Amino acid sequence: MNGLSLTGIYKDFGSVRAVENVHLDFAQGELTALLGPSGCGKTTLLRMIAGLELPSGGAIRLNDDDITALPAHKRRFGMVFQNFALFPHLSVRENIVYSLVISGTAKADAMETGERLLDLVQLKGYGDRRISALSGGQRQRVAIARALAQEPDVFLLDEPMSALDAKLREDMQVELRLLQQRLGITTIVVTHDQREAMTMADKIVVMSQGKVEQVGSPQDIYHRPENAFVADFIGRANFFDGVVENGQLRIADTVLNTTPAPAFLNGSGVRIACRPELPCLDREDVEGSRLNATVTFVRDLGPARDIHLKTAIGPMIVEYAQGEDQQQYRVGQETVVTLPAEGLHVFPEEKAVL
Amino acid sequence: MSVISDLDAVAQPPNTTRSEARKWANPQVLIWAVVLFLCLTPFILIFAVSFGHKVEGAGWVWGFSFANYQRVFVGAEWPDQVTWLYLQRLYYSLYYAVIAAVLAVVTAFPFTYLMTGLSRRAQSAWLVFLLSSLSLSEVFIVMGWDVLLSNRSGLPMVFKETGLTDWLKAVGWFDVLREWGLANPRNVKFKTSVLATVLTMSYLVWPYAVILLYPPLSRLDRSMVEAAHTMGAGPWTVMRTVVLPAMRLPLVGTILLLFVFLLGVYVAVTVFAEPAKQTMSVSVYGAVRGNTLNAPFGAAQAIVLLVTAAIFLVLGQWMNRRTAS
Repeated sequence: MNGLSLTGIYKDFGSVRAVENVHLDFAQGELTALLGPSGCGKTTLLRMIAGLELPSGGAIRLNDDDITALPAHKRRFGMVFQNFALFPHLSVRENIVYSLVISGTAKADAMETGERLLDLVQLKGYGDRRISALSGGQRQRVAIARALAQEPDVFLLDEPMSALDAKLREDMQVELRLLQQRLGITTIVVTHDQREAMTMADKIVVMSQGKVEQVGSPQDIYHRPENAFVADFIGRANFFDGVVENGQLRIADTVLNTTPAPAFLNGSGVRIACRPELPCLDREDVEGSRLNATVTFVRDLGPARDIHLKTAIGPMIVEYAQGEDQQQYRVGQETVVTLPAEGLHVFPEEKAVL
Repeated sequence: MSVISDLDAVAQPPNTTRSEARKWANPQVLIWAVVLFLCLTPFILIFAVSFGHKVEGAGWVWGFSFANYQRVFVGAEWPDQVTWLYLQRLYYSLYYAVIAAVLAVVTAFPFTYLMTGLSRRAQSAWLVFLLSSLSLSEVFIVMGWDVLLSNRSGLPMVFKETGLTDWLKAVGWFDVLREWGLANPRNVKFKTSVLATVLTMSYLVWPYAVILLYPPLSRLDRSMVEAAHTMGAGPWTVMRTVVLPAMRLPLVGTILLLFVFLLGVYVAVTVFAEPAKQTMSVSVYGAVRGNTLNAPFGAAQAIVLLVTAAIFLVLGQWMNRRTAS
């Protein structure tokens, strides 16, 4: 296959298995985000791809060449580190052309490439500055330019935005994505920020406890989570525990309809997830399971409101975009919530253990 | 007492004598005074003694003459005759100290770098071992090296018994060793030689080199090394282009510190250096406590040694700053 592929990759640190049997394909020119909570093994996986860690088992292939045991300095993979890892004893330009200088590129060519990359990351005129004289955002740009200087086959970024403030992070996510699309480099970004992953990635790999939980496009991951962990980790969800009865879901004395019908044996314990923006309040025109509810709390978030409800199946949050419904809800108000059948995700009970 | 008299008392200017007394009673001032006294007094005394002169058959007397300094730089018979004996000793002091300090740092650096990559427990074990080795006195260490390098029981004997000497003779390297003063007609010999002196001096300060280099190396951002690897740099290139430049300040600082320490080494030089290649510290001891018993001349040599060390420190720092800028 053309691109990068991982087959049965695992990594043990002593008795601890940090990464478990990972099979992944990264298509040429695609941006993939490895997303998961801290300690889920995503950085270890990235380091194995970079050649900074040797896998305990499995194979890494680039364009069908086995590179599993190839040391990092022979892979031509550009990498941006969490702390950027810039060389403080070198100027901005010297940092950027480092890979070219050590590979013996003619000085004039290296300098020309340096200027082009400085221009690319919008740091023209900063070439002679010391690294210590740059802001966080500028340092990140230098780290990106430096990693791109060797024209890498694969571009790896380990939590590249974590050192930036919230506003700059949002801007850099868009900038980085545009740059990656322009250059068309196969890119893998490690992040624990789902918003960052959704903004930048063509494909998201959700990881937990060393395992891949789901691989898919941002929309797939959000709207069609394959298990309770993904439903919980990506976006927000209301969770209920119930059992399957004759193709329906029973939670306490309430029966809910789902589409498609849950594919579980009668009596199976299940966990049900429902995104908070999907239920409707006081809407007769919407199909779905109707439940009486009492408003327990109203949280105004500016562009949206969270209505906290107490229902027969448990507490629930319904998110309303401002202006979508002008009705004002007060604490203690009685209402009817409709759960659309296609908005309920049903998972086996054992997957519910997070 | 009335309120008015109270106010009068408050309005009176503070008692200057009492406030001065309080100032001197301040613990910080006292501590500084004691520290300065303890640090400066020996130096001032030696400086003052260096201008005195020896009384033949007796001790010495205070005075103000540059004769001792003259003797150090151009000899006692100047201007009729110029001798460089003591400048030569100063030269050997610098020669041994520079080579031994650089050798210690050059060998301690890779060791310390590798050590910082070990587990915490292994690092602690090494550090405890190295710290405990510091408890060995110079005399003890020199005695050990003396045995190790002695012609009859040390390495030369091993060379002879294992046939290494014959092999060296066969391949023609034995003659080279003889030219370097590291062999006699029969076997290799390490005593007395510059090699033995420098090796022992280097060994003396090696644990210090590790202990001084350990903190900056353990603080070195390893992601810089990894970043260099991902940009195509092999281990040696990373060492040359990333680690060494990042460690330039600690390296220079360690060399300077060891150099100053080694200027004062006495026992190792006495045992391993040829009489013609002895250092100024041996000469100082000889003047103060040895056969000549000429304390003012010893003091003058000590001052010259001290000033030389200070000049080297200033030069080293200046060069370091210049390179950094």
